[in-house]
Amino acid sequence: MTTVKVIVAVAIVAAVLSTAFAVSGQSFVGLLATAQDAELKKNTIGGHTAGYGLYDTSGDVLDPVNSYSTASQEVVIDPDKYLRAFDYGRVSTLADGITLREFTLVADDRQVMEISPGVFYNVWTFNGTIPGPTLRATEGDLIRINFINNGSKPHSIHTHGIHKSEMDGVFETINPQGKFTYEFYAEAFGVYPYHCHVTPLEEHISHGLYGVYIVDPKSPRPQADEMVMIMNGFDTDFDTENNFYAVNTIPYYYMHHPIEIEQGKLVRVYLVNMLEFDQINNLHLHGNLYQLYRSGTNVAPDEYTDMVTMSQGERAILEFNYKYPGQYMFHAHKTEFAEKGWVGMFLVKDPAETRLDGGSGSSNSNNFPQTTTISGDVGR
Amino acid sequence: MIAIALVPLVVLAAMIAFIFGPGQQFLGIGTPLPEITIERVEFQEDGIIVAFIRNTGPIDVTVGQADVNDRIQQAAIEPGRELPRFAEAKVIIPFPWNEGEPYEIGVTSSDGTRFSKSIDAAAPAASPDVEQAAVFALIGTYVGIIPVLAGLLWLPFIKRLSLGKYRFFLSLTAGLLVFLGIDAIVEANEIAAVSVAGVFNGQILIVLVTILSFLALMYAASKLGEKRSKGGTSEEAHELPSYDSTHSGQAKTLDQQHHQQQQQLVVKPVAIALMISIGIGLHNFGEGLAIGASVVLGEIALSSFLIVGFMIHNTTEGFAIVSPLAKARVRRMLSKMIIMGLIAGVPTIFGTWIGGFVYSPIAAIIFLSIGAGAIFQVVFLIYRGMAQEEVDRGKIMSNASVIGGFAVGMLIMYVTGLIIPS
Repeated sequence: MTTVKVIVAVAIVAAVLSTAFAVSGQSFVGLLATAQDAELKKNTIGGHTAGYGLYDTSGDVLDPVNSYSTASQEVVIDPDKYLRAFDYGRVSTLADGITLREFTLVADDRQVMEISPGVFYNVWTFNGTIPGPTLRATEGDLIRINFINNGSKPHSIHTHGIHKSEMDGVFETINPQGKFTYEFYAEAFGVYPYHCHVTPLEEHISHGLYGVYIVDPKSPRPQADEMVMIMNGFDTDFDTENNFYAVNTIPYYYMHHPIEIEQGKLVRVYLVNMLEFDQINNLHLHGNLYQLYRSGTNVAPDEYTDMVTMSQGERAILEFNYKYPGQYMFHAHKTEFAEKGWVGMFLVKDPAETRLDGGSGSSNSNNFPQTTTISGDVGR
Repeated sequence: MIAIALVPLVVLAAMIAFIFGPGQQFLGIGTPLPEITIERVEFQEDGIIVAFIRNTGPIDVTVGQADVNDRIQQAAIEPGRELPRFAEAKVIIPFPWNEGEPYEIGVTSSDGTRFSKSIDAAAPAASPDVEQAAVFALIGTYVGIIPVLAGLLWLPFIKRLSLGKYRFFLSLTAGLLVFLGIDAIVEANEIAAVSVAGVFNGQILIVLVTILSFLALMYAASKLGEKRSKGGTSEEAHELPSYDSTHSGQAKTLDQQHHQQQQQLVVKPVAIALMISIGIGLHNFGEGLAIGASVVLGEIALSSFLIVGFMIHNTTEGFAIVSPLAKARVRRMLSKMIIMGLIAGVPTIFGTWIGGFVYSPIAAIIFLSIGAGAIFQVVFLIYRGMAQEEVDRGKIMSNASVIGGFAVGMLIMYVTGLIIPS
């Protein structure tokens, strides 16, 4: 019996000690395993920013700065497509000669999609994307929005601008599976946001139920390379602070997919701030100044600058052209936002070279200037 | 026979199969939330920050992104971004960090939840090379070995004490030890609260290991005593009865009584001193872990002031070892004392190595708790020994010098402990 007792006592002590050593030794085991795998697979990170060390890894690369997605089928938006996509609606002419533009917007709140590489979020969308489609009309047109709520919560569409009270999207909340038709005239040209106005408002907006609505003046603005940028962000851990910032949803997207523009050609950016939780947001343009049209409601610019600061719901039109070819950043000058994804790049091309290339379509990451090689599972 | 014993297990297995199978539909109450714990962060010289993370939640997690001070950074994760339950991974972030500045390292899981750990002051990671090991060994020698050996030099002083004063100092030793035991548990609890994920039940582990360590050492001590008694002379084998008969005779001079006690204590004092040195060794191992880890984790600057504090504090430990030996006649006392001093002091060096190079909060908790259990067991032995020699048996705790010694012992530890900035 004594022998048994001794064995039990020894076993208990051995178990406790071995647990301690197993736990403390795990990092050693990890290092050994790493060393063995290293020859099979090797990725390099770092070097993207000057002064940062380079590191070769046998593991996975977490690189939202240089990658678009970890599962490309599930990304909530293609920022390249969104940038220059304008939905003019189904156009018909009414008896009184007025142009009718019909749009269909379907709200959903049940999808979980990628909003930043490797991060998935319960997105609330108009027509399946964040932001929703950019609606565009000319001053005086009749707008008809057929709204379908395909989600699990009540939603609505509140469009900024001049319209009747019952078309404001505030008093009728459309229940799941419900429909509503909004009808109003496109009065006062400018840039406007549209968004869901069901409470809790912060929740409905921050989950992604918003988009841009543009009313062109009757005599059109000069021909330009036009694009839409909606400044937004996501609070993925629900602490009322954004974890990710961007223009057009995906952090850093236009860094690895720079926006190609032509040297000397007029660029017009319709800029809307839909960022929740933070008081302000801004856009700073490198290597250039822009004409700033606040709210886009005037044909004369308000300011010639490289910085515009906006509160929630504010917007503007930015017009500029680049004197020199090359790469120029644009980003929030609130650097915290920039370092959480709100940063992008214009690639200004010499028109002669652009023609040889076959025009400025969607760009790819090969154009991004690299001082060092960045590889890894960027395209995985 | 065995088949009958297996019946409850089979029922249990069937239940588990049901719950994971068809039962999942209606038993799946609530949403399991992912949890990642950043166990430690290393700042490497070449501008690289390494975070050691562990999936401590109820479900598998995929790591989405990494950040420094809540700003997104490029990073690598080894062995991969997918972490099964309890799995560990290394997140490597190239980042030009500045020494001495505070940092917060974060990882975001694929569902967008961010987990972070703050570091008070970035300090270069100790690389496990000979140079660093030597520095740690030097610190361990200063903090552990020298003070303990110095404390042993109290032996001649204790030897000259009268029985009453000796009891005072023996009790003082107990006070020192109780303080160390409580200190170890508090320290372990702090680590459990700050660095160990809830899933490991760190605090329960402390209690569990302390009790187990106490019981295991109790058992070992009694076996040790038994063996010695059996192997000893017949006089030793019948220690207690002979003591009783002497006592009942009522005609003993103090000298005779003293002689009787020496006979009785001929084995036990060495055993007790050995147990004390083992307990203190475990304690010092834990202390070494804390020192090594603090250097690496950048939580404290290991100033010479801190080292001096530990030295003063630990000198009392040497006293604790020699006090039970004072009234015993032991052969080769010097060599035994030195061995015991080394048993108590050298683990500090191992502690600093392990704490500095492969720090694990769980291991730290376990070692601290083993030390605490060992120390409490030693205190128990000291008082049992005193109770046995006490004329008025069983009333040891009403003796003024015993109570006074205990109180002074704890106060000494408390006051010397104030010197160490926590």
